[in-house]
Amino acid sequence: MALLKSLILRNAFLITHRALVSTIRPSSNASVVEDDDAPVEMENPFKKERVQCILCKLNITPDYKNYRLLSQFQSPYTGRIYGRHVTGLCKSKQALVEAEIRKAQNCGYMPYYYKDKTFLKDPKLFDPENPIRSHRF
Amino acid sequence: MPSYELALMLRAMPKGELKKTLTRISHAIFNRGGIIRNIENLGFREMPYKTSSHGLVHREANYFVFKIDTATQAVADLKEENSRDVDIIRQRVFKVQEDKQHLSCTLPEELLPPAYRAEVQKMIEVGKTQVNRFTYKFKYNSGLDYYPFQK
Repeated sequence: MALLKSLILRNAFLITHRALVSTIRPSSNASVVEDDDAPVEMENPFKKERVQCILCKLNITPDYKNYRLLSQFQSPYTGRIYGRHVTGLCKSKQALVEAEIRKAQNCGYMPYYYKDKTFLKDPKLFDPENPIRSHRF
Repeated sequence: MPSYELALMLRAMPKGELKKTLTRISHAIFNRGGIIRNIENLGFREMPYKTSSHGLVHREANYFVFKIDTATQAVADLKEENSRDVDIIRQRVFKVQEDKQHLSCTLPEELLPPAYRAEVQKMIEVGKTQVNRFTYKFKYNSGLDYYPFQK
């Protein structure tokens, strides 16, 4: 008899508990409206800065008469023009640099197979040993 | 009249002769209705490679750049006349590029992984429209009564 009583009691408690929960819910929703801890619309604070190539950043248009600048994109060993994966230029600027180097070489301002020895100690714009994109060579 | 740049290499010579040569070149331009905007002297220096012209080997030269405005038709004529000039080692004519509006750098888009690059996506789209040569198998019921490839 005592066991039956306790069972009924437990059941009754469960029912009342459910009822309690159902009554609490709407009241909790109402409290959200006046919550000042809600997320705020804002710009992504972790957004990375837009990277630019060195010629775009400094707003330089390569010119065939400025062969000292152009020689910085040339290998000191073979005189070949470094590729985009080494120079880190954007496509349009790289194309422009290559075209202007060809012009300068053709005009006799710049050598084809070596770099002018007076420009060998010029500051390095990039490191050919650590290209921005890996390559086979 | 479009703008041109006339890049000249003049042989090593004394100042008086150089002056005469420059006036001769200028008069050739004026005679064809052209105008000279600027003459730049890039100096007398050793050439990066020896050049032979008019039967002589030159190792150093006077570098000059003429900025001229002239009719397009006159350019070939000017070049021909300069090519006959023994004092000119080499001449090149370039059209001056108009200042393009500065486009923003496309480097960040180029540095994306291949799958996110627009040109790669386009390439994949094109590839999807092509017949895959590796999986394509000739069907014998295609209407031809012979096998068109080598067996």
